[in-house]
Amino acid sequence: MDPTVVTTAALQSQLPEWTALGPVIVLGLTGLLLLTIDAIWPKRNANTTYAIVSAAGAIIALGITVWYLVAGTGQETHGGAITLFSEAIVVDGMALFFTAIFTSVAALVIVASHDYLKGHENSAEFYSLLMFATTGMALMAVSNSLVTVFVSLEMASLPSYALVGFLKKDRGSVEASLKYFLIGALSSAVFLFGISLIYAVTGSLLLTEISAQFADGGVAGFAGVAGIGVLMIAGGFAYKTASVPFHFWAPEAYEGAPAPVSAFLSSASKAAGFVVAFRVFAEAFMPLLEVTPAIDWALAFAVLAVLTMVVGNFAAATQENVKRMLAYSSIGHAGYALIGLAALTAGGPHNGDVMGAAMAHLLIYGFMNTGAFLFIAMVEYWGVGRTFEDYAGLSQKAPLACVAMAVFMFSLAGLPVFGGFFSKYALFASAVSAGFWWLAAVGAVTSALSLYYYSRVVKAIWIEEPNGNLDVIESKPTGLYAAIIFAAVATVLLLPGFPIALETAEAAASALFA
Amino acid sequence: MVAAFDFVPAIVLLPFVSFLIALFAGKYMPKGGALAGIAATAGSLLLSIWVAISLLGVSGERIHQETIYTWATGIGDQPWELTFGVLIDPLSALMLIIVTLIATLVHVFSLGYMNDEGETGLPRYYAGLGLFTASMLGFVVADNLLMAFMFFELVGLCSFLLIGFWFRRDGPPSAAKKAFLVTRFGDYFFLIGVVAVFATFGTAQFAGPESFPVLAEQAVAGDTSVVNTTFGLEPTQWFTIVGLLVLGGVVGKSAQFPLHTWLPDAMQGPTPVSALIHAATMVAAGVYLVARMYGFYAVSPTALAIIAFIGGFTALFAATMGVVKREIKQVLAYSTISQYGYMMLALGAGSYVAATFHLMTHAFFKALLFLGAGAVIIAMHHNENMWDMGGLKDKMPVTYATFLAGSLALAGIFPFSGFWSKDEILYEAFIYGLNDPLLLGGWVMGLLAVPITAFYTFRMVFLTFHGEPRSETARNPHGFGWNVKGPLSVLGVLAVVAGFINMVPVQKLTGIELDFLTQYLDSGGEGLTYSGYNALLAEYGGYEAGVVGTEVTTLLIAAGLSLGLAVTGLLVAFKLYNVPEPVEHTAKLGQVKDVLYNNYYQDEFQVWIAHRTQSVAAVADKFDQGVIDGVVNGVSSVSLFGGRRMRKLQTGLVTNYAALLTLGLTALLLAFGLLGGWFV
Repeated sequence: MDPTVVTTAALQSQLPEWTALGPVIVLGLTGLLLLTIDAIWPKRNANTTYAIVSAAGAIIALGITVWYLVAGTGQETHGGAITLFSEAIVVDGMALFFTAIFTSVAALVIVASHDYLKGHENSAEFYSLLMFATTGMALMAVSNSLVTVFVSLEMASLPSYALVGFLKKDRGSVEASLKYFLIGALSSAVFLFGISLIYAVTGSLLLTEISAQFADGGVAGFAGVAGIGVLMIAGGFAYKTASVPFHFWAPEAYEGAPAPVSAFLSSASKAAGFVVAFRVFAEAFMPLLEVTPAIDWALAFAVLAVLTMVVGNFAAATQENVKRMLAYSSIGHAGYALIGLAALTAGGPHNGDVMGAAMAHLLIYGFMNTGAFLFIAMVEYWGVGRTFEDYAGLSQKAPLACVAMAVFMFSLAGLPVFGGFFSKYALFASAVSAGFWWLAAVGAVTSALSLYYYSRVVKAIWIEEPNGNLDVIESKPTGLYAAIIFAAVATVLLLPGFPIALETAEAAASALFA
Repeated sequence: MVAAFDFVPAIVLLPFVSFLIALFAGKYMPKGGALAGIAATAGSLLLSIWVAISLLGVSGERIHQETIYTWATGIGDQPWELTFGVLIDPLSALMLIIVTLIATLVHVFSLGYMNDEGETGLPRYYAGLGLFTASMLGFVVADNLLMAFMFFELVGLCSFLLIGFWFRRDGPPSAAKKAFLVTRFGDYFFLIGVVAVFATFGTAQFAGPESFPVLAEQAVAGDTSVVNTTFGLEPTQWFTIVGLLVLGGVVGKSAQFPLHTWLPDAMQGPTPVSALIHAATMVAAGVYLVARMYGFYAVSPTALAIIAFIGGFTALFAATMGVVKREIKQVLAYSTISQYGYMMLALGAGSYVAATFHLMTHAFFKALLFLGAGAVIIAMHHNENMWDMGGLKDKMPVTYATFLAGSLALAGIFPFSGFWSKDEILYEAFIYGLNDPLLLGGWVMGLLAVPITAFYTFRMVFLTFHGEPRSETARNPHGFGWNVKGPLSVLGVLAVVAGFINMVPVQKLTGIELDFLTQYLDSGGEGLTYSGYNALLAEYGGYEAGVVGTEVTTLLIAAGLSLGLAVTGLLVAFKLYNVPEPVEHTAKLGQVKDVLYNNYYQDEFQVWIAHRTQSVAAVADKFDQGVIDGVVNGVSSVSLFGGRRMRKLQTGLVTNYAALLTLGLTALLLAFGLLGGWFV
């Protein structure tokens, strides 16, 4: 271990180094605790207990993460990144930033699921699967070796398959789960093959050593092998982030899954795909851009970004089903975040800005997209229906939630009054200053298109008259309501708070390029 | 110690507060918010006087500049700052006093003109007055061109609201729209000018070592690294263009030819508003702006010559139209245009002090004349036709005496205030004109306007106050109270004595030091002084005073000519109209009368231009409907069509997905492999 990084943060410098993994450990233990409770006291209706335990676990993990972020653990200001387990794990600003996203989304989803799962059997399974998936994601954020990357990615994916198929008696849910799993298996194979090719070329799986090998020109003569490996690894990440052409599972899985699970997958799982992609490409493959022009992976991401933005937004524009529309919109947003990789250049002065802006966008997206899917969850809970027509006049029954939904929609579209505007603006502006004005142009045009389908939702719930569809609404689910309102408040508060978020993200991203 | 300068923002904010009070609480207050307005403007007046006096102090600052709020900063290579700030120097301090004094008196007068006459909508009226005053004060203290522009626009907006105060009648709304649109046309150029100043200098500050007039001087002196000129022009040429762009706003607001047509129509507003517009706020804003950035104009003599020529031409042109008008306010309106022409002539002739001096004396006597006319209009039950008046001097002695003082000042009769300032303008234009034909042309036109001014002024006085009453209302005029007489008296005294603060001719003849205003304006901070401007003019403009014989003879010739001509005009008016039963003499003018009545068909010409624009607009409309909308509609149908295609990709069959995924990856691998030469 590098002795220089032993002196760590100010606040928890007394703590042993392994505590840097605290959030991951808390999340994993919470999952196990849930299983234990279920095994010892197998009560049928312990939904509330499980929800409280898992929410507490997520919030504690979030608290530790934020504390570390503020205290400077693993960040430039306090001795740099902390590496553990022979550098297979690294805790730095970016890992903590994304762990904060995962745990926030998980907490929101858990609170919302409490109502959604009322009367379901085996709710302990649901919560523990959710906690294990979150653990996997938190591990993805700290992975520093291709092995840990692959293991943690699978660790996040496997519970997700089960979560999507959680409604065992719902045909759509089961079918979606199977499709998700099959595409996932195919993508994992591609990803693993890519890893093996990289290992063949460099002889190492540690990101830092791969990077050193590439920087030395160690791939001379094997550019083809390395190139195929890099692109295949990119494909694995494209699957996890639901980017074209690995996106086919997403609309089906998001639509078929229980809506809180869709919220979780489209926000947290996507962000997890991005954090690991950011780290692998910025740390291990960055030298390729300088040394081996033949392997221009940034251009490959640019192609993927454009395709993803176009396909996601265009397909969203013609949907009749609100949940499916959101699924496609979430693909479109993956395209925006891909700009964070596509606009990188060898030794570019704006690399930190671009990636930081993409990270900040994923943070705000985490809140607004989760909130939007949770609104869908509430509508599903009421059993109102799924199409735009079914949503007509909802504001008369649930005005507060509809205000929140309007906030989410306009923020996703990037209207200036909400957090989504600043994050898109920062992203496009940094892409322009990095010289990729055309990426920003495609982003701006597709954002303009997205306003069309987002405003359709707002029009339906606020302007159109109800057509007798709302009589089924009886109760007001407190947990769902609270989660939606909280997400909306966060979306609005991230407008004034955006500079802080962006600064943190840019500092974390710049550390990768240092 | 509390410094006066700490209170400069309060000068602007007090009338703004009175605006808010009148707007939101005016209904519940006695006099519809008038008292709040009077208190606020009087407070601003006291603060302004304090500020002006503290500039005179022995040890105090001569100039005070302070940035109050930076509301935007540039990023990267563009270190621009857009700020609100205040700049107090002798010029702005003097202007503050003028504006607040006139505004206070107008508020008081409004008690008599509006409240006592039982007008409705008083809160709206006083809110408008408050905002108008606040905007003008904000404009006066502005320390940069952009802030000045913003308040300039607010002034324009307020004039629109006040001219159209009686919006239920036919005339006022249309006059308000005209004032708004015509001045907006000029402001459009001003806006481009502001942008040009930013693009050229990277700053729009009026004062300080990094201000744009200073940078302009450095550029003209040879250091072109400090500016970015456009189109590969020489700095002087480019500065002339920028100066003329800004001048567009000035010509619109100060009602100079050819954008003067809004001003006579603006008489549709309440008379106290006319007084405020003409004497202290809107119209004065244009001239003040040129004076404010005089250091910039001083290095572009071409722009100055154009200013001088426009000024001289407007002075003469407007005066001829005033000769035939029947309504008392119309005569005053044309006299305003003409008098601001003189100020522009002075600025163009390089005499910043003479322009400011005339701005001040004119503010007093023109406010006096308008308020006097307002009193006459109250007395005449809102009949403004002078041919229905006559013989009012015995019935309303205070109004007569003060109105006469104002008229003598306007006509430029010794020793009333207008004489001193107008004489100084003509003298300066004359001595510099001896070396510059364009300036000399301006001087000749200004001189020719002198007798015409005296003629129409006294035609107005004689028709209104002298002779026999020509109508029933003139025989039994309506009375009015102290709130009308008070402001008239104050202004009457000022119209007589205000000229004594700068008796340059007497100083030159006797050697006694009497040029207090010149010294005051020369005491400002570096780069903002009269002598500083003169040095610039001499160096870059080639301004050089000429003499006829000796300096004293030149002075006597100039003063004698203008005074002689003024007296001549007065005597002609006396002969024609100071009779018991005056008759119209306009028929003697023949064809010319119609031309003058119709204001040289200026309005008709502008309407004709407007119709031509309409056909251009029709083409633009067609383009918008056909091409732009067509493209927009096309884009949306293409998007939806494309969206349906995208949707078809999602077949629901997982085998298709796996195939597409694999094919996609293969395509990517092949493309990049071939591109990167991986397969060789």
